[in-house]
Amino acid sequence: MSDDLKNILSNLNKDIEQEKLLDYLNKKLSAAEAHEVEKQMADDEFMNDAVEGLEHFKNKKDLSLLIEQLNSDLKKQTEKKKKKKEKRKLKDQPWFYITLITLLLLVIIGFVLIKKHLENS
Amino acid sequence: MKNSKYQHISDTELLNRFYAKHDNEWLGILLERYTMLLLGVSMKYLKNEEEAKDAVQQVFLKAINELHKYKVEYFKSWIYMIAKNHCLMKLRDKGKHPVEINERVMSAPAEPEEKNSVLEKEKKLDDLAMALLQLNREQQLCVTLFYLEKKSYQEIADQTTFELMQVKSHIQNGKRNLKIIMERI
Repeated sequence: MSDDLKNILSNLNKDIEQEKLLDYLNKKLSAAEAHEVEKQMADDEFMNDAVEGLEHFKNKKDLSLLIEQLNSDLKKQTEKKKKKKEKRKLKDQPWFYITLITLLLLVIIGFVLIKKHLENS
Repeated sequence: MKNSKYQHISDTELLNRFYAKHDNEWLGILLERYTMLLLGVSMKYLKNEEEAKDAVQQVFLKAINELHKYKVEYFKSWIYMIAKNHCLMKLRDKGKHPVEINERVMSAPAEPEEKNSVLEKEKKLDDLAMALLQLNREQQLCVTLFYLEKKSYQEIADQTTFELMQVKSHIQNGKRNLKIIMERI
């Protein structure tokens, strides 16, 4: 198996790994599945330390929420500039202004016609 | 939690995309993959949920700043060191004096493993069997049950008289001792 393929597979599995870790911490895995996670831990110091720490969280069910919160803050931090760029891009689109002006003209014409109609009646 | 449309992209590729235009969005996608592990490591050292959460946010910030300054080859090892160092600094500020690890050194590539021939592998297996016999009874039992009989920590604890933490400790120490014995052979 080439290194690139291994890399792809290991990254495809990252989210499954996180779900599996949560299940392991909540003792939802079978003995065989738990063994697989523990084997990974034995070979991966980062993962081993992390599980040791995660086991100390009082409420494991809140872990997912906490992780979501951290990821959400991270996203806000890293996407900030891009959103500003997108806003600027939108303003540069000519069709946007054409549509806006057309709508305004239609509103004005409509207003004038309604006013004339009311004056005549 | 998932950024599923980028799941197929490797850490290295995400880093390369970041280095191409210094677009932090790629870093966000990459760092998100390690949130849970970083939270766990922070909790292990700091032993406080709020401090651990705060530490993860600080590690994210530091990672984003540092990655703009120099190239990193092995992101996973590097981010692990960033987290450990951050936690150790926090502990040092509280009055404990742990040793810091140089993150720039950790950003350099590790030595590649040498490829062994089939004969060399067979010799290593024989040496490993000999080394296993040199472990103490507890470590030998736990290592055998874990690696050869593929039992989980809980199953080994149920089968032996050891507590779960003792099982883990015997396996870790056994593995370390095996490595030392193998290096001597």
